[in-house]
Amino acid sequence: MFGYVQIEKSELLVKEYETYKSIYCALCKTLGKEYSVFARFILSYDFTFFAALSMGVHDQKVCFNKGRCTFNPLKKCVFCGTGNDNMKKAAALSVITAFYKLKDDIRDGRIGKKIRSYLVYPFFSRWRKKAAQKYPEYEEAVSAMSQMQEQVEEDQMCHIDMAAEPTAKMLASVMEMQAKNEMEKRIFSELGYHLGRWIYFIDAVDDLEKDKKDGNFNPFLKYIKDEGDNENLKKYCNEVLNQSMCLSYNAYNLADIKRFKGILDNIYLKGLPFVQRKVLFGKGEFNDEESL
Amino acid sequence: MKNPYEVLGVSENATDEEIKAAYKALAKKYHPDNYVDSPLADLANEKMKEINEAYDTITDMRKKGGSANSGYSGYSGGNSNSYTGYGYSGSSQFQNIRMMINSGRIAEAEQALNSIPQAQRNAEWYFLNGMVMMNKGWSEQAYSCFRQAYTMDPNNPEYRAAFNRMNSQRAYGAGGYDPRGGAAGCSCCDICVGLWCADTCCSCMGGNCC
Repeated sequence: MFGYVQIEKSELLVKEYETYKSIYCALCKTLGKEYSVFARFILSYDFTFFAALSMGVHDQKVCFNKGRCTFNPLKKCVFCGTGNDNMKKAAALSVITAFYKLKDDIRDGRIGKKIRSYLVYPFFSRWRKKAAQKYPEYEEAVSAMSQMQEQVEEDQMCHIDMAAEPTAKMLASVMEMQAKNEMEKRIFSELGYHLGRWIYFIDAVDDLEKDKKDGNFNPFLKYIKDEGDNENLKKYCNEVLNQSMCLSYNAYNLADIKRFKGILDNIYLKGLPFVQRKVLFGKGEFNDEESL
Repeated sequence: MKNPYEVLGVSENATDEEIKAAYKALAKKYHPDNYVDSPLADLANEKMKEINEAYDTITDMRKKGGSANSGYSGYSGGNSNSYTGYGYSGSSQFQNIRMMINSGRIAEAEQALNSIPQAQRNAEWYFLNGMVMMNKGWSEQAYSCFRQAYTMDPNNPEYRAAFNRMNSQRAYGAGGYDPRGGAAGCSCCDICVGLWCADTCCSCMGGNCC
């Protein structure tokens, strides 16, 4: 995952924003504590969302502590949920997905990226090992995704749904693991599946120009081949993304969210659409609506 | 039974208007139309029932308590029930496949559909295949199937409804979210209806706005 699941800050209450920040800081701290100080660099918004959602649906107590930021010791921070099981899970999942992302970069990145990836590979590999020991089910889900992705990209008949399937399935099964009962399992699986699709597609749209140049796989290239590269392409991408978001949001609405609802609603209703617009249409076109 | 005020997410001191607004917002969110093709349709129906019951309970309680009531009947409880399953009348070539889909045997239905030769694949085949794809989460395949079914038989209300549902999910404002940050859930449809109402009102009063 790649940091697309963001909040829309201007639409949050101040207290909600502070809570969000403290979850973000706590995830950073957990990465540092459980893995290494350098593992803090893989901190992402996606897993902050994951941490907020999984803490939000569980009854387990969430503590707020005050402390200092490691990177800026002059700054005092609030940490929300350090030591919480769900926070540890979010950290483990960050480490595992970061490792497989790195592997993917080594496979089909540009030469500069390849060299950089090789240099950090041993560290990522060690962290992943540690995370996989604790949560083998996550390791299994993510490695299955990586394998499946390789397969579908080689398949000549691969259509857009098939291309998104690995990411969607991975997030569906990981989300399912957060459920407490059968009903929640179904809800989270659906939520994760379509959110996974959305993340996969938004990343694909973002990389489309680059992939076209480098000759890499991209699910939207087939559309270009069939229909031509014109302004309809963006409209089409937008529709695909809208539908995934809509279906994930419908599932989310059925979940019993016990805390952080304001933050999670903000991400679904404002954050994701904003990111989608930014990636698809650039910032400029929406300036009048977005400026504060 | 749960506290009806908690179900609607309002305080017990809320005015009738506030309760009505909360109820309407929730009813819109969980409306069965949002979940027709979803594997979670049954859960959404239950939720809708719960909301309807809560609203009815509160209005009944307040009526008895002598509080002013606006008499808004809202979405009836029966409404949500009529959406369970895919009601279909008339002859169906693929009755057994329909039954498989309705009872959640998706893999079986997919197999059965695939075994039907290309020549016999009519509008209904595409429609059913679309439902199978939707259940799998493959919404792009589903979209092209529903579109195909609709193109082959545009007069069939079932295919048209499915195709329209897909289109509204793919448009901004689907699923109750409004990324443009305006009034919550104001879709194109609302705007059209709004304009139409405004126009009608204007015409009534003698003026003519458009």
